[in-house]
Amino acid sequence: MRALTWHGEQDVRVEDVPRPQIVNPTDAIIEVTATAICGSDLHLYHGRVPSMQEGDVLGHEPMGEVIEVGDEVETLEVGDRVVVPFTISCGSCWFCENDLYSLCDNSNPNAEIAREVMGHSPAGLFGYSHMLGGYAGGQAEYLRVPYADVGPIKIESDLSDEEVLFLSDIFPTGYMAAENADIEPADTVAVWGCGPVGQFAIQSAQMMGADRVIAIDRVPERLEMAREHGDAVPIDYSEEDVYHRLMELTANRGPDSCIDAVGTDAHGTGLVDATDRMKRSVKLEDDRPYVLREAIRCCRKGGTLSVPGVYVGRMDNFPFGPLMNKALTVKTGQTHVQRYLGPLLERIEEGEIDPSFVVTHEASLEDGPDLYRKFNDKEDDCIKVVLRP
Amino acid sequence: MATRSQDTTRARVGEGQGREESGDGGVLGPQAKRAALAGVGLALLVRGVRRRSLRGIGTALAGGWLLTRAIRSGNGKREARGGAGRRGSSAGSAAVSRTISVGKSADELYEAWRDPETFARVMSHVADVTPSANDRHHWTVHTPYGRAVSWETRIVEDDPGQIVRWATPGDAVVSHEGAVRFREAAGGRGTEMTLTVSFDPPGGALGDAVLKRLGMAPEMLVGQALARFKSLVESGEIPTLEGNPSARGEGDLL
Repeated sequence: MRALTWHGEQDVRVEDVPRPQIVNPTDAIIEVTATAICGSDLHLYHGRVPSMQEGDVLGHEPMGEVIEVGDEVETLEVGDRVVVPFTISCGSCWFCENDLYSLCDNSNPNAEIAREVMGHSPAGLFGYSHMLGGYAGGQAEYLRVPYADVGPIKIESDLSDEEVLFLSDIFPTGYMAAENADIEPADTVAVWGCGPVGQFAIQSAQMMGADRVIAIDRVPERLEMAREHGDAVPIDYSEEDVYHRLMELTANRGPDSCIDAVGTDAHGTGLVDATDRMKRSVKLEDDRPYVLREAIRCCRKGGTLSVPGVYVGRMDNFPFGPLMNKALTVKTGQTHVQRYLGPLLERIEEGEIDPSFVVTHEASLEDGPDLYRKFNDKEDDCIKVVLRP
Repeated sequence: MATRSQDTTRARVGEGQGREESGDGGVLGPQAKRAALAGVGLALLVRGVRRRSLRGIGTALAGGWLLTRAIRSGNGKREARGGAGRRGSSAGSAAVSRTISVGKSADELYEAWRDPETFARVMSHVADVTPSANDRHHWTVHTPYGRAVSWETRIVEDDPGQIVRWATPGDAVVSHEGAVRFREAAGGRGTEMTLTVSFDPPGGALGDAVLKRLGMAPEMLVGQALARFKSLVESGEIPTLEGNPSARGEGDLL
């Protein structure tokens, strides 16, 4: 089959790879009809996530048609149309039973490696490094889905692929980010990063009754999308000082909740950036902490910092003193996607939100490498890419 | 879950303290053995780091483990303090131990552990295990060079819902011992099970074969065996990358 594969920094290719087979009794095989490129795929594209291997199949936002099921699959049948969450979860361990699906104890075949590095192993993910499972991803013609009764959600209405595809990751991720922000009525919520996850965080914050949402980015079309679809107040950090602008907007109180929807590939400026670059070049630092530092500085005393953005390792010069003295709460984690699938599909079916608003580009799988580049360079107003294998 | 220092311990197991080492382990003196050990450890570490792959990480960790052992065994004081009863030089048979929480009762876990098919599946990443008569198991590890090492163990302690302990007979060429213990977890969180496995001295026949085949530190092998067992009893299957497609081909087993 054809699949999009990783070969190192800024090197992805479409190649022939073996077609996946049923291996375990609760596996299903999906013929992929639509699959998206995620902002977190760009962390892989930049070679910043450890334990990737040349030739790994990428992709963790797939949907498609079930073409084969293992002997013990009970809820799916051949022909079902499903969206597949990026988190692979067994459904039966303590974490899954407590709705903490991205922390599943059983789905990572390389758990010992993750344990050595992080202390404990989180769940396996599709197409997101060997430390996090090593599972082939969904930017391919076919996908093996383990624990098929736990992950995929059946789409029985006639909603289009673009309307439901983002249940696989970015809609639940933005939603969980807003939920983690502990939003109360009259709250101001600031969201760093107006990529797709930021867009869904903004809209989810509005759904949860935020009084005002402030969107921070430097890409005009992303800020415009946040304003138009998310009714957000935009701040262009390349033109305005974020701290001063946020204090101005909140009478120096600071936003009640701050959401970091950027993660490890944040852009810094000036001398601070130069110092961080130097540290990274000699491996003293893995992550880029600009957004986190700024969010801690800006957040209201006693406020909440929610971090859906992906970080990969260690960072230096983390302002833990301000975090402690301002008594901030920090909530983070890979999304417990399975927890949100049903409720968010319902919101889409009821017309409360149409997630397809983020899509700016559709292309064939063969065009994948070109679109990775476009998405990375934010060229051609590229915000969200859907590939059709 | 406990921290590494709490849940990973090494202790001397078994009664065979004065026993002659198995395989070729008895030929070298302690100094030469330590040097050999450090050499193998360093080679694995370098090879592992060079490979920059997941398997490379495993190899590097195994190398680091061997190296640490070689260095530690050269320091008598540190050995006596940190060894939790472990004695002698690197030639001593060391055990590794790990504890894990499983969401089933101790009785269910005991039953599953005693089931020959389950046991063979759980251990299949290390060795082929086949049951034979009178609570005996036959173990075989194939090295990448076609050499096979095999041995037989007998269950020497068996208390349903509490403990299963197995060991090779005293006169066996390869020495191996293991035990699994079950203890009810607080707050209805199932059972805490501890697996303790003794390995041949590194450089001996078994340790050598296992390391060569898997390029992994014994701690990781024990951790994997427990994780595989837990996955099987909790979710009904062991997570696998068998047949996993990539541009490198099919399958992605560590």
